Amino acid sequence: MKPDPIDRLGARLFEVARSEAVPEGAQQRALEAARRESSRQTPTSARLSARRKWPVAAACVAIAAGAVLVLRPREVSLGISAEPVSVAHTEPERRTTSRMETPSAEAPSTAVPSLPMAPKPAPLVAPTAVHSAPASLSDELSALKVASSALSAGDPQAALAALDRYDRVLKGQKMRAEATLLRIEALARGGQTEAASVLAQRFVEQNPGSPLVDRARSFVHE
Amino acid sequence: MAASRDEVIGIPSKAFPPGISRAATRGLSIDSLVAQHYGFIWRVLRGLGLSRPDAEDATQQVFMIAARKLADIDPDRARSFLYGAALRVANNARRGLRRRREVLDNETCDEPEPESRGPEKLAQLVQARELLTQVLDRLPEKHRRVIVLAEIEQLEVPEIAALEGVPVGTAASRLRVAREKFRALLTAMREQNPFGDEP
Repeated sequence: MKPDPIDRLGARLFEVARSEAVPEGAQQRALEAARRESSRQTPTSARLSARRKWPVAAACVAIAAGAVLVLRPREVSLGISAEPVSVAHTEPERRTTSRMETPSAEAPSTAVPSLPMAPKPAPLVAPTAVHSAPASLSDELSALKVASSALSAGDPQAALAALDRYDRVLKGQKMRAEATLLRIEALARGGQTEAASVLAQRFVEQNPGSPLVDRARSFVHE
Repeated sequence: MAASRDEVIGIPSKAFPPGISRAATRGLSIDSLVAQHYGFIWRVLRGLGLSRPDAEDATQQVFMIAARKLADIDPDRARSFLYGAALRVANNARRGLRRRREVLDNETCDEPEPESRGPEKLAQLVQARELLTQVLDRLPEKHRRVIVLAEIEQLEVPEIAALEGVPVGTAASRLRVAREKFRALLTAMREQNPFGDEP
């Protein structure tokens, strides 16, 4: 008996999905990334409880944040991006330029001096070394995925570190609004509710039409 | 009795001796996990709606998670652990993608795999993949997952039940409903059949 055409079509669609090959070299890239991840975990650190890990992670984040302050003293303070946040960064990559490369004298200060911060370490690299080509959308997405995963895993400090990398290394632009929202959430979950509120308030003011504004507003203290 | 979801995704039970990892006792390595399960996880993520580049990124994330948790993974449930991690990574990725759809529509595309077949055949395969994704996108999440596991991975119902952390009867029922819904959706979208009248 001739099979039903819909069943036959369905079977062919599944056959196409089954026969799709993984991207060339993808498995090897995953293996190398996983090995790197393994090697970063010493047996001792792997056995540390979350409670015992926290001070280590916090110290790492503090050092990273200190480095950010040194490298971008006018843009960043206390892990809060000094750039005006906007959801309008949806232009194609070729049209985006890094505003970090031309810091504006009119850029508003966002320092919240009452909050604790790590001491500034000596600069690790010359300031000019951080001005590289704009990151691709894929790079930006990857960085935000890392931050999002860290948040999902209950590690806001790691999320902040990933967001610092997004700001400092990638000079992320296209996902700026999402990055800001992730930072707000990470700050809040990490106990820095006041900083989260300040950043959320600024986001709401600067992006009144953003679809993310309701979520940001939920972090603003009355 | 069916295993709890925590158990099927590899979260160690309290009964396991403290200080001794399951993986260590059974020689589980990240190399073997990647070698055995990379394709499965990548296809599952594709079936869950991620583009080829996103599926590659997400698969890599899954194995990085596995590398971090290697000591806690029960070798007998390694695939369940990876599957559970893949679902969480896919959920995060798709939440982000929905917010960024307007960007992605313009800037990224689901590039077809490079292959030696002619352009017409290639276009047909891309259209077939798109149609499948459109139909799967319209299925409830739990039905989508069982369809992917049954029809793309060709797993048996007990295997699906173990991965989903549900009783076998529930998995069977869910799969039956999923197939009915899939068929109804495909019927409604049959004019997009990229194969035309080909046998």
